[in-house]
Amino acid sequence: MIEFKNVTKEYPPNLVKEKKTALKNISFEIKDGEFVTLCGRSGAGKTTILKLISCEEKPTSGLVMFDDTNTADVKKSDAYLIRQKIGFIFQDYKLLPYKTVYENVAYALEAFDFNESLVKDEVMQVLELVGLENKVDHFPKELSGGEQQRVSIARALIHRPKIILADEPTGNLDPYNARDIIKILLKINESGSTVILSTHSKDTVNFLEKRVITLEDGRIIRDEENGVFSL
Amino acid sequence: MIKYIRKMFKNGWEYFWRQGFLSFATALVIFIATILGTALYFFQGGVMYLTQELKDKIDISVTFKEEVARDSILSIREELVNLPEVKNVEYISSEEAYDSFVKAHEGDKYLEALELISVNPFLPSLRIQTKQPSQYKQISEYLKQDQFKDLVDEVNDYKRGVMIERLSSLTNSVSLAGILVTLFLSLIAVVVTFNTLRLSIYSQKEEIGIMRLVGAKNSFIRGPFLVQGMLCGVFAAALSFFLFLIIPFAFNEQLQTLFLGFDCLLFFKNNFFWVFILNLVIGIGLGLISSYFAVRKYLKD
Repeated sequence: MIEFKNVTKEYPPNLVKEKKTALKNISFEIKDGEFVTLCGRSGAGKTTILKLISCEEKPTSGLVMFDDTNTADVKKSDAYLIRQKIGFIFQDYKLLPYKTVYENVAYALEAFDFNESLVKDEVMQVLELVGLENKVDHFPKELSGGEQQRVSIARALIHRPKIILADEPTGNLDPYNARDIIKILLKINESGSTVILSTHSKDTVNFLEKRVITLEDGRIIRDEENGVFSL
Repeated sequence: MIKYIRKMFKNGWEYFWRQGFLSFATALVIFIATILGTALYFFQGGVMYLTQELKDKIDISVTFKEEVARDSILSIREELVNLPEVKNVEYISSEEAYDSFVKAHEGDKYLEALELISVNPFLPSLRIQTKQPSQYKQISEYLKQDQFKDLVDEVNDYKRGVMIERLSSLTNSVSLAGILVTLFLSLIAVVVTFNTLRLSIYSQKEEIGIMRLVGAKNSFIRGPFLVQGMLCGVFAAALSFFLFLIIPFAFNEQLQTLFLGFDCLLFFKNNFFWVFILNLVIGIGLGLISSYFAVRKYLKD
């Protein structure tokens, strides 16, 4: 379970940017197995919520709980323990360019010290799930955007995480590929993983008919079950 | 643990091989540092050779009066050999001195003059070498004592010792200057290597971020980068070793003329193992240390 309690996140000023308050005193809970869409304009605070969950950032004030762990208490060197429970999907895919499709997916398992003899079967299984079993030896630059995103999903799924964080995963894709990706996310959710999807795509939000948390200027302005896009 | 090390080497080899140009450029910079380090080692060998050569060429020559018997001279030789400062004493009879002169001046006017006087003008002598150039003075003074006054014709002369001492100190100064210049150049090479590796790892900053997000431990991320740096070092060391192998073989004569008789090939053969180890230590050391510090920055954030 994830819980945000009166969370504020401020980014200090630097040479090129003024001080920015990304989240202003927000509170919400996400139960295990939920599919939640974070919806809002660019800069509304969607990505900051995902970064706080994954221990990339710490809240300026308030409490972010991941299961029973206060993420503010997690040392940077121990953050991997939280991240091993998470699968990440990004708008820009974030694949390792010098690794093949197979190696990108297997890397996540290797990092967890997974039983080596099972790695190949596990990777092939998940690549079949996303329809890339014939592209195992390709490098990311040899794939289309949709294919790269499917590799990213395969990598996020390979270690069967409790939670999937998807940050604008359809942002760089055409509508057909975008719809495929959303369907895969729904399938993942049906298999029991919690999915938190950040998007500003009206079509995606309305297609899902799941819980929608709408953000505006760092505040939650709406939190609805079976919500729709309304900004 | 073995599994972890195997993965580390596998991933490190992948980075090294697949980022071919970047690895090559990095290895090339480390190569410059290994060349400088190895050149410093050869330079030291050359300086030691020259100093030894100078020392060996200098001696004190003591000539004895004509009437002094061979046995008396040999007993003085015995005395001298037992002195702790003395390295070697050679007895040269007047006949040997004559023959040696004839051999050295064959066909020139000095020999004609010698033939004209038809007697052997050379006196028997002892040629003494000391362990240190500074000891010539002591030996010279020893031979000028009263007990030898009736036997010794001339002691020729500790000033040569002073000269060699000066030469030796000059050689040492040149050697020190050479070491300082090489160390300075090596330092520059180290800084350039470090920055090259830093830039190379900077270009992989985003990938390090991805690895962290995927849940990899810092040590799991760091390991392959260290292996990559080490492989660049091994590549550089191999290149440098090959260069120091080829050059003495191909140009030993020219090098010998250039370095006042210092035989680079012989030095290389005698120190083959150390040259190999030195190259490896510099190459791998630089690659590892630079990679460690470069990647540490991105694992701290």
